[in-house]
Amino acid sequence: MSLNMRQSAGFWKRTPAHTPSVVAASFGDDGSSSSGSMRDEADSAFDIPRSLSTAMPATAAAAATEKTKKTLLETQTAAAEQQTHSSPADQADRTEEQPSAATADPTETKFAHVLSSANTDLGQLRKLSWKGIPASHRATAWRILMGYAPLSLARRQPTLQRKRKEYMDLRDQTFSRGTSALDAKLWHQITIDVPRTAPDLPLFRNALVQRSLERLLYCWAARHPASGYVQGINDLATPFYHVFLAEHPRDALDSVLDDVEADGFWCLTRLLDSIHDNYTHAQPGIQRALVKMRSLVARIDGRLADHLAGEGVEFLQFAFRWVNCLLVREVTLDCCVRMWDTYLAEEDQGFARFHIYVCAALLLKWSKQLMLMDFAQIMVFLQRPPSLMWDHKDVEVLLAEAYMYKCLYDESPSHYAGDRP
Amino acid sequence: MSGNDEYDYLFKIVLIGDSGVGKSNLLSRFTRNEFNLESKSTIGVEFATRSIQVDAKTIKAQIWDTAGQERYRAITSAYYRGAVGALLVYDIAKHPTYENVTRWLKELRDHADSNIVIMLVGNKSDLRHLRAVPTDEAKQFAAENGLFFIETSALDSSNVEQSFQQILTEIYRIVSNKAIESSQDNVQPGSGAQIIVPSVDDHTKNAGGCC
Repeated sequence: MSLNMRQSAGFWKRTPAHTPSVVAASFGDDGSSSSGSMRDEADSAFDIPRSLSTAMPATAAAAATEKTKKTLLETQTAAAEQQTHSSPADQADRTEEQPSAATADPTETKFAHVLSSANTDLGQLRKLSWKGIPASHRATAWRILMGYAPLSLARRQPTLQRKRKEYMDLRDQTFSRGTSALDAKLWHQITIDVPRTAPDLPLFRNALVQRSLERLLYCWAARHPASGYVQGINDLATPFYHVFLAEHPRDALDSVLDDVEADGFWCLTRLLDSIHDNYTHAQPGIQRALVKMRSLVARIDGRLADHLAGEGVEFLQFAFRWVNCLLVREVTLDCCVRMWDTYLAEEDQGFARFHIYVCAALLLKWSKQLMLMDFAQIMVFLQRPPSLMWDHKDVEVLLAEAYMYKCLYDESPSHYAGDRP
Repeated sequence: MSGNDEYDYLFKIVLIGDSGVGKSNLLSRFTRNEFNLESKSTIGVEFATRSIQVDAKTIKAQIWDTAGQERYRAITSAYYRGAVGALLVYDIAKHPTYENVTRWLKELRDHADSNIVIMLVGNKSDLRHLRAVPTDEAKQFAAENGLFFIETSALDSSNVEQSFQQILTEIYRIVSNKAIESSQDNVQPGSGAQIIVPSVDDHTKNAGGCC
């Protein structure tokens, strides 16, 4: 039986030509009017050897340093440009099929249409969002996809106002007797972790943002005693600050921070509701995710799974953080936000289930290198994976691969395991 | 990627102690000579390795850095198994981190091998003006509890090398003594199979018979 599994896994590895068609077909199913561009992206996304070989570490590192220098808004704009305008080479590839791509941005238009209709079509929004949300629409789209803002356009603003006020009341009540009246242990842990949250990004070194994050985390933890605050939850709040602040001009930070904090609080609450047992005693959600990830990797790439086991490498040792922090630490914040576009678009628990496929795809990406490493080398490599140098395109390849694995293996635990006649 | 490096001994060491005392920076200072003011909190465990020479033997230290928060205790305590040494770190400028040392010792008693060599490490010794834990007090506590003791600064790197050197050397001495004792045991075919691993101060005592 295990031999069968091996052979099947090998079959998939050896014939990558099959994979794009599987994915393209799946994408084609859900994007009706946009299936052309989806397929286009899927195809280019699967051009793995090219995208990997052209990713030069030196330039990537330089780009990463440049990125940290940019202000919040500049980063956002750059991200938007990255999404809407591709490199000259890619443009040359695409102009044959889409001559008008440079003049109009069909993606922006589609989002504008869906988000401004009287009742947003959630299915349509999900389909569009799966392949990335333009920066200009991301905050609105995230609030809706999170289930925080309503689909009805008329009710949207009033609801947000009400929820923001609700948070402010809750916050005022929590901090009404000063910080000395707080749960000292909880407050201490939060205040030592906030300065260590995304410290490489100027936004999170801002004192106002740090105070805001402290309040948000405390309010959440105080309302969720079963888990309380667990290190790493601070990381999960960063994408929300990044996205919700990007809606506003940078010098408006003072006046908009309360709204951003409130939106961040409700969205983080929604997010954590879906993965709460990742943070309760003994973190059973993470343990389950790791078991599933291991069996998934064993079925897709049995040789890698055997090698890891042979070297004594356990998934708990390297993938615990991947699940605990939802890969926030393994990619840049900009890439993480792009990744979460897709997670939010996944109909069924993107953060709890789809994420496992993404983690498996991430590990499998380095299968070849890992096979040549011993225990210590594997551990050191996976603790600082090359994905920190990735751009959106790399993330999109990863998401497409994860989608493929999900299509093949989700809800089919004995896929390929059964004996053949 | 330096492939199969040769070593005579492989020792597993754990770094434990409260959140924010500087465990990760002690590790990065020792293994990579790096210190990061903007380091992030450790989630679960992190791993690093470095080899040193003792008595012309190569000792490879496999070091597991653990998250300080209590929620992670269930995960991190699994890493105590098989560890022959522990650096129990506190922050000399934060008294509560020193008060918690007794709780960490209990953790080790509950989950680690009873012969584990423990070194109490007062980190951030560069923060002289903020010192909250007197050196003598910690030194005395260590002596009373059979722990080695050192004060370090991962920031200015003082004593970091020495702390790891000392604990690894100590473990090496115990292990090589044990090897001698067990080989002596082996020449006596009739003797029982039980080999008692000497604790840190055993070799200074006489194994005197009773009554």
